[in-house]
Amino acid sequence: MKKSTVVTAISVAAIVPMALLAISINENKAEQQALNTVPPIKKFESRSSEWGKHYQRQYDSYMQTGKSDKIDDMLESNPALVVLWAGYGFSKDYNAPRGHFYMLEDNINTLRTGGPTDAGAGPMPTACWTCKSTDVPRLIDKIGEEDFYTGKWARHGGEIANPVGCGDCHDNETMKLTITRAFLSRGLDEEGSLKTADATHQDMRSLVCAQCHAEYYFKKTEWTDKNGRQQNAMVVTFPWANGLSVEAMEKYYDDIDFADWTHQISKTPMLKAQHPGYEMFKTGAHGLNDVACADCHMPYVREGSVKYSSHNVSNPLDHMANTCLNCHSEDEKTLKDTIARKLERKNELNRTAMDVIARAHLEAGKAWELGATEEEMKDILLDLRHAQWRWDFSIASHGSFFHAPEETLRILGSAINKGQDARVKLRAVLAKYDAGDYAAPDFSTKEKAQEVIGLPFQKLVDEKMAFQNALRQEWLREQQKKGLYDPATREGMVFKTSYTAE
Amino acid sequence: MKANIVMKYVSVISVVSAIGMFAYVVHASKATSYLSGDPKVCINCHTMNSLYATWQHSSHRKAATCVDCHLPRESLVDKILAKSRDGFNHSYAMTFRTYEGRNIRASEDARQRIQANCISCHREIVSEITAMNELYRTGGSGGVERVCWTCHRDVPHGRVRGLTATPDNIGIKEI
Repeated sequence: MKKSTVVTAISVAAIVPMALLAISINENKAEQQALNTVPPIKKFESRSSEWGKHYQRQYDSYMQTGKSDKIDDMLESNPALVVLWAGYGFSKDYNAPRGHFYMLEDNINTLRTGGPTDAGAGPMPTACWTCKSTDVPRLIDKIGEEDFYTGKWARHGGEIANPVGCGDCHDNETMKLTITRAFLSRGLDEEGSLKTADATHQDMRSLVCAQCHAEYYFKKTEWTDKNGRQQNAMVVTFPWANGLSVEAMEKYYDDIDFADWTHQISKTPMLKAQHPGYEMFKTGAHGLNDVACADCHMPYVREGSVKYSSHNVSNPLDHMANTCLNCHSEDEKTLKDTIARKLERKNELNRTAMDVIARAHLEAGKAWELGATEEEMKDILLDLRHAQWRWDFSIASHGSFFHAPEETLRILGSAINKGQDARVKLRAVLAKYDAGDYAAPDFSTKEKAQEVIGLPFQKLVDEKMAFQNALRQEWLREQQKKGLYDPATREGMVFKTSYTAE
Repeated sequence: MKANIVMKYVSVISVVSAIGMFAYVVHASKATSYLSGDPKVCINCHTMNSLYATWQHSSHRKAATCVDCHLPRESLVDKILAKSRDGFNHSYAMTFRTYEGRNIRASEDARQRIQANCISCHREIVSEITAMNELYRTGGSGGVERVCWTCHRDVPHGRVRGLTATPDNIGIKEI
């Protein structure tokens, strides 16, 4: 055989297996590429079930929050709240929180959001949607932040269809945790101790929660729309510029002369603390040790051979083996007893604070009635404003007694002190107007308390039910037409409120 | 004569093609990367993704790379031989897909290497233990058939590390 034939034969013999090997390598590479690719989910996809197609376990566990469905009427168990919030929405209806699954539904059903009859009707601003739905970042992206925060709550009813879910915390392209509410970034940067840009993954495991579980107010912001018209936006803003403490925020509000509302009875310019969960948590033992919200509220769980982060955000004490006991060596009962004692301590001071401040409001109301002057009342009202702000701040966030027991009790102590200061001064004023022995009326039940403040409860309920049957139905049709409505978000949901019989 | 010339051209072309194909295979398989000790080389194929991720989140990431534990450290020759042998076995398994449906387990040879490397780094602290192990012979020549990770089961890869057990482990995240 010729030399060239031999060379050719050897070459071909080498090329064939090498070609097969190359094909195999490329197949493996394609497989790796596919495995390393985040599944396609469109930007601002607000339907969590679309994400759930690719992240079934996380989605299923998120849907488990639907099991936390009990309505716990806080006004019923703490009637003093009705007096404390007289003239403000919370005196109408206030329940303990249910699972994330119900977030949007409860916002729509509460008497606080009223019974609007059209897109321009009150009583609440659009900002009330901000923390309730995955449709919020989508809508802000579509129409801009200022426009989103302009107008009444009912304006966005046809756009806000899905409760808080996947898209509120996750980037659709990388699945990384992300901040979708710009007011948190602005708050962090103003406060300065943890700039947004410096947040680590562990920080993010708390910050995604802090987007909503934090103190905020609606800042009046003027802007000009594209038609050149002046508009007024109510922009969700964190009052963090002076720091995260109750005193720092009190100063912030005092400096800008801000009031959420004027108290119906005492005429005090009031502050409503929202739910400063992140701020309180940061002062406690767990916060100081850089434990993240997700460490306890979204623990790693095993399902068969697979380990993942549970998205059934709930009470860590319900499954302590996955939460507390990862770090603590005590047995469950010892830990639970310790925590129960913490709760009792808070409840004791909380009851005292509510009683003291509610009486102070009613006594101030009496003083006005008897003809007290603005000059006489000025200091008293400032005490009352600070007393109630501090009381509210200390207990309004979930589990503050656990997250930050010392800080909670410290603030409650100062609230009681301020409240009693107001009452001592009020006694002198009342005595001056011959009412030194005035005793505040009975507010020992929700009904009595609502009567004391003259709340037209049945009217509010009727308006809400009329809304449910009219405008709400229009919203649902609009959401369906826009392809936003996701039946999975309502699956198995029963209409439950504090004001309708079960 | 004419056929001869054609055959000559054919042979030259085929040799060039073979060289070209060889170069392509070297490139596509990232063959030269295997000369390095960078842990990312170990995830050229996805099979090791979860083992990489678990190591990357462990305390060992600051102290030891893949090859520090999995290849012999005492002699360079042993290291190169072991690496070549492992490399061949892994390539074979990937190419002919013999790994599918099976869990990744260290071979007997690899176990011995890893055990030697545990001791090599933690020599001081385990000196008593290794001495005791020699005393408690269970017969034959060796000590008790235990290795460090018989007890330290989570070190460093954790217990959840199978490909099917970590479905959301997508790609490398720099930390």
